[in-house]
Formats: sequence, C-alpha cells, structure tokens
Amino acid sequence: MSDPANPVSQEGPDRTMNHLDEITCLMYAERQLDRERAQAVSAHAQDCAACRTLLRALERESRLLTRAMLEEDEPLPARLAQFQRHTGQSFQWIWGLIFGLAATGVYALYTEFIGPWMGRLEQAGLGGTSLLSLLIVQGAFWKGWQSVITLFEVLAMLIVVGFAVVIFRRRISRRGSALALVLATLCAALALPAPAGATEFRHQDRVTIAQDEVIHSDLYAATGRLRIEGTVEGDVVVGAGEIEIAGHVLGDLISSSGTLRVSGQVDGNIRSYAGNMTIKGKVGHNVMIFGGDLNIDRDAVIGGSVSSFGGHLTLDGQVQRDLLGMGGAVTLSGTLGGSATIRTGELNITSDAVVKGPIDFHGDNPPDVASGAKLASPVHFEKIKHEENYRNGRYYVWRIIWAAAYILFGLALFKLMPDFSLECVGMAERYGPSLGLGILAGAGVFVGGIIACVTVVGLFIGVCTLFLWWASLYYAQIIAAALVGQGLLGRTRENWPLIGRMALGMVLIRLAFALPYVGGWIKFAVIIWGIGAIALALYRRLQTKIPAIQAGAAQPVPVTAGPAL
Amino acid sequence: MEPLRPGPMNVPGMTETTEAIARARAGDAEAWGELYRNHAPAIFRFCRRALPTREDAEDATMEIFMKLREKLSQYDETRSFSAWLYRVAANHCWDILRRRKIRQDKETEDVETMPLEHPDPNQLDKLIEQRTSEEVREALHKLGPRARMALVLRYYSDMSYDEIADELGVRRAFVGVVLLRARHELRQALEGKSALAAGGTP
Repeated sequence: MSDPANPVSQEGPDRTMNHLDEITCLMYAERQLDRERAQAVSAHAQDCAACRTLLRALERESRLLTRAMLEEDEPLPARLAQFQRHTGQSFQWIWGLIFGLAATGVYALYTEFIGPWMGRLEQAGLGGTSLLSLLIVQGAFWKGWQSVITLFEVLAMLIVVGFAVVIFRRRISRRGSALALVLATLCAALALPAPAGATEFRHQDRVTIAQDEVIHSDLYAATGRLRIEGTVEGDVVVGAGEIEIAGHVLGDLISSSGTLRVSGQVDGNIRSYAGNMTIKGKVGHNVMIFGGDLNIDRDAVIGGSVSSFGGHLTLDGQVQRDLLGMGGAVTLSGTLGGSATIRTGELNITSDAVVKGPIDFHGDNPPDVASGAKLASPVHFEKIKHEENYRNGRYYVWRIIWAAAYILFGLALFKLMPDFSLECVGMAERYGPSLGLGILAGAGVFVGGIIACVTVVGLFIGVCTLFLWWASLYYAQIIAAALVGQGLLGRTRENWPLIGRMALGMVLIRLAFALPYVGGWIKFAVIIWGIGAIALALYRRLQTKIPAIQAGAAQPVPVTAGPAL
Repeated sequence: MEPLRPGPMNVPGMTETTEAIARARAGDAEAWGELYRNHAPAIFRFCRRALPTREDAEDATMEIFMKLREKLSQYDETRSFSAWLYRVAANHCWDILRRRKIRQDKETEDVETMPLEHPDPNQLDKLIEQRTSEEVREALHKLGPRARMALVLRYYSDMSYDEIADELGVRRAFVGVVLLRARHELRQALEGKSALAAGGTP
C-alpha cells in the first residue's frame, strides 16, 4: 500500500509521468489531506488527464454510493410501525403504582411484623435496635444464630440495594462493577468479625476441657464431642455432635449440635441450634433454641428469658423473665417470672406451675390448665385460623403488596443481570432438565451450606451459601414468572419487555399460589423449576467459556445484549 | 480542480427536534412517539444497509430504540442529535456483527497486506456510469461486514474519519485504506466478480 503522505508516488499506466495513487485521490476527494498535500494533488491533477479522470470517477462513485445508501427504497415495516405504538405508551404510572404499593408494603411490614418482632427479640435479650446494628455492630452473623433476620427484612433490603445500584449505575458506569460493588458490600458486612480478643481454636474429634483447665479467652471448637468440665472465661462457639457443659462458661455459648446438655453454669446467653437441649444448671442470661426440644430441668435456673423456635419446650425449673415458644408443644411445670407468649402447638400447665405474668396463647386447641396452677391471670387463648381469610380485604391487600415486592425484586435483578436473566429464562424452557437439576440443586446447596456452617471453620462460606440459596428461592419464582409471561405474550430478547412479561407472569403465578390445596404444590414446583433453570444457566456459563475460545470465528453466537455506548 | 464534497450533508428525517427531546426526557410518551416517527425510518435504513438480513435490521431497529430510550438522559444537547443517534445505531450494529464473529481475523490481515490494483480511470468511470443505486445496494450485501460498515458509516451517516476509526476500532490513518478496500470489493461485486477475497458473505 502506498503511503498517503506521499501523494505523487505511484507509476501509473501512462509512463510519461508519475501518477497519483488511488488512496491519495480518495483522501483528496474526501477532503482528508492537509492543505499542503491537497495543493500538490490539485496542481498535479490540472496537468494530468488520467489523474483528473480518476478523481472525477472517485467523486462520482462517492455520489453513487451516497444516493444508493440514502434512497428510500423500503417503507418502514409494519412490525416497526406497531413497535412505535408500543414505545409510545408510557408505563410510568404502572411503576409509580408499584412503587407506591411497595412503600405502603414496607411500612405495613414494619408496623405489623418487624416492629413487634424486634420487640420480641429485645425481650429475648437481643438488645439490637436496628438490623444494621444487629448485623454490623454486634457482628451478629459471625456469632451464628444471634440474629434472626426475617424474610421480610432481607427482601426489603435486597430491593433497596438493587434499586440504589440501578439508580447509581450511571455513576458507577459499568454494570459488572455495580454488581461487584453490591457483592463486595455484602461480603464486607458479613465478614466483619466480632471484636474478639484472644481466641482458642480446637479442632479434634473429641475435645475435653478438664476440670482444672482454665481457658482465658474465647473458645472456638469444631468437633464430634465437646465436654467442658473446666472454665472458659470468654465465649464458647462450637459446632459438635454432642456438647456437655459441666463446668463454667463466663461468656456466651453459641452452638450448633445434635444434643446439648448444660449441667454446669453459663453466665452469659445460650443460643443454640440443636436437636435436643437439656439445662440442669444455671444460665445467667437468656436461652434461645432453634430446631429441637428444650428441657429445662427442675434444678435449672435461667436468669433471663427463654425463646424456643421449633420443638417441644418443657419447663420444670425456674425462668426469671419471659418465655416465648413458637412451633412445638409447651409444658409448664416450673416457675416463670415474666409473661409467656406461645404460638401454635399445645399448651399444658400442670399443678406445679407458677406463672407471674400474663399468658398469651395462640393455638389449635384450648390450653390444658391444671386446677392447682398458680397463674397471675387466666390464659388468654386465641384459636389459629388455618384457612386464609378470603373475605377479609386485608388478605387481598397483602397479596397485592407481595406481588409488587416480587416484581420490584425481579426488576432489580433483571436490570442488574440482563444477560444472565435472559439465559435463565431460556434454560427454564427446558422443563425436564430444569426440574431434575432443580431438585438436586435445591436440596444439595442447602445441605452443603448447613454442613459448611456446622464446621465452624466454614461458617462464613456456609452462611454465604445459605444466603445465596435462599435468595435463589425468590429468583427462581421470578424466572418462572418471566417464562409464564413469555408463554402468553411471545418471546423477547429485550430487557424491558421481558420485565413486563415477568410482571404479568408474577401476578398469575401468585394467583396460582393462592389457590387452596394445590397452591403450595404449585409454589414448590415453580421454585424447583426456577432453581433448576438458574443452575443450568450457571452451568452453561461455566461450560461455554472454554469452547467459546476454541470455536471457530465463523460460528454465530446469539445476541443477548447490546454494547455499552 | 475543485473536488466535490462527497457524502450526504443531511439525512432525511433527521431534523433536530430539541423540544421533543427535552419532553421525551421528562417522560412524555407523545414526544417519544414523535422522535420515533421522525427517526425510525432512517435508523431502519441504516440497519438495513449495515446488517445482512431484513429481519436483523428490524430487530436491531427496535433494540436501538429501546436503548435510546434508556440512554436519552445521557445525550448532550449541545451536540447533534442525529449524530448521536447514528453513533448508538452504529455501536449496536457493529456489536451484533462482532458478536456473531462474522468478521474474520483474516480480513484485517488482507486489508493490511494485500496490495490494491490501480484502477483504470476510464473503466472505473464507465462502470459507475452503468450501475444503478439498486445494483449498488445489492452489491453492498456481498461485501464483508467491515467493508460494508465502513461504507455505511461514511456515505449514509456522514461520519468523519475520526468517528469511523472510533466505531470500527482501527487507527485513524487506516480508515482511508478500509474505505478504499471496500470500494474495490464493491467494484468487483458490481463487475460480477467474486468478492471472496475479502471473505464477504451475502
């Protein structure tokens, strides 16, 4: 190729003189040469007929090209004319409505659920006033089960974070970095460790703290069996099959175990995820158990309150403050210094029982109260209604609020991850593999997360896994909703139309969930299906990375999203 | 000799409608409809020239307008709206072509290394004389994606060499070569010769 900087260079067919090369002529015709070179070309063209002809031909070619390009040869296709009407419609009022509903929903959630729950938690000794302080200041996540984040709070938080990112995306400029920012913030929030001083780590099959042994710090242990006969001056954080505290723990006991027996003394709180827990000794503050049965023996003294979520609760000993029982049956035979709040299950109060505060019981059957029981006031009983109250207007308001919250959540996700969402919806069309993989992933990830949690070393990873698994339960419904919407309105590759279809689908599947008897099963199937689609899309993403590099250049790749402007 | 300035000085339907833009930005659906009505035909033609099939062009036009609606707030009002519009469209179409990997690595090599035959000015003049716009459009689709894109950007969108360099991701000094090469391919196609040398796909 000739150098355009040297206009008079190439020897043309006319050998009497050097002719201009074609690129120089083109650049001259396009006014891309600087003044000096343009003058040289102009001067040469005046003397050289061949170059003049070439210049003229190139200019004519340019005009022909321009004419060919600009000619209005085809009318706007009908499809595009229709599209005009679609784009002309404003959906802003719909989003306004959804936002309004969401705001109302958040307020209602707070006053109806979060506020009272926070009150309960405070009563149970978790003095956190806000989720933030629970999460960050107290390092609650790290401390295992100290915080109970309700489904509502996390959903609300995700929506807020998602929207903040969508709104500030322009400032952050890249979608990827926005997502990374969210994840990094989450990880940072989760990773903030409790301000622990010196800590002791034990990681053997069987750990025994002997009677004369004193640990002057916190004790972290992951073991098959833990027995503390000596003294731990800090907290005990433990994951074990079997735990026995016969000695003295001056701090808190946070545990995840098959069985937990406390015959010694724990000066702080006990927070436990256990199959079975028996307390025979003394607990200075509060006791909270998730999952299994709790027996508070005749000799036991609990300085604070007791909260039990899940199994049976038997109180023979002494609890100086309140009692909260949710889930299983409750038997009161001992002394309760404060009030009792019991939801679902059964309530038996024997003749030995002494309850100094009010008893509030929501259950299927009236409580069984022995005549000799010393109660400050009669049991306040309210029967639980199992069937949804279809005649109540509030029921429908709540349905609408929930659907709106889901749509917002979906909107945030579809905006944050447009390509991945589209792939997930595509994968969901493969019903068989989606459902199969959904069962596997849905159960497998949960079990994996639990296992990671139980081994204390993997607690952070475990909590993250469970968090992702839990978020995917919601994402799964959104994916399924988008597919349902697509089924009705036709396929689309665009983000906003897909969100519109998702919104429609969400309304429909939430209606289906509300059906009596079959609703629950539909929900289960939808979640499994969606999780399978997400897993498939993830799998394909990981799989295609390598073949994509190896594949030939000619292989077309479907367009999934536009370029960054 | 005073050369004639090639290329369109304006594009039909590309009247600057500042007011409509401002209203569309504020969320006025009617103003948006007006912008669409004014600009969609030109953008569709742009896509029709740049992309291989009619369906592609229709899809791309819709996608471009979806994108425009999102990005309208980023538009700098001190600059030409149609120029901005074409930049969005060009980005989108070029991205589609790139993603499909139609552009072959070989093509770059060819452009950079293969010498171009100097045309016989009289023969070229004759060829141009004989060909109609329609034939040119047909021939355009026999060109390789980059050659076609370069011609469309230059002669449809009236983009400067700098802008073309930016869009295609080549050095500014290389744009003239790309355009010249594209013209040679086009001439070959018009003469009924194979344009395979440039890896063109219909």
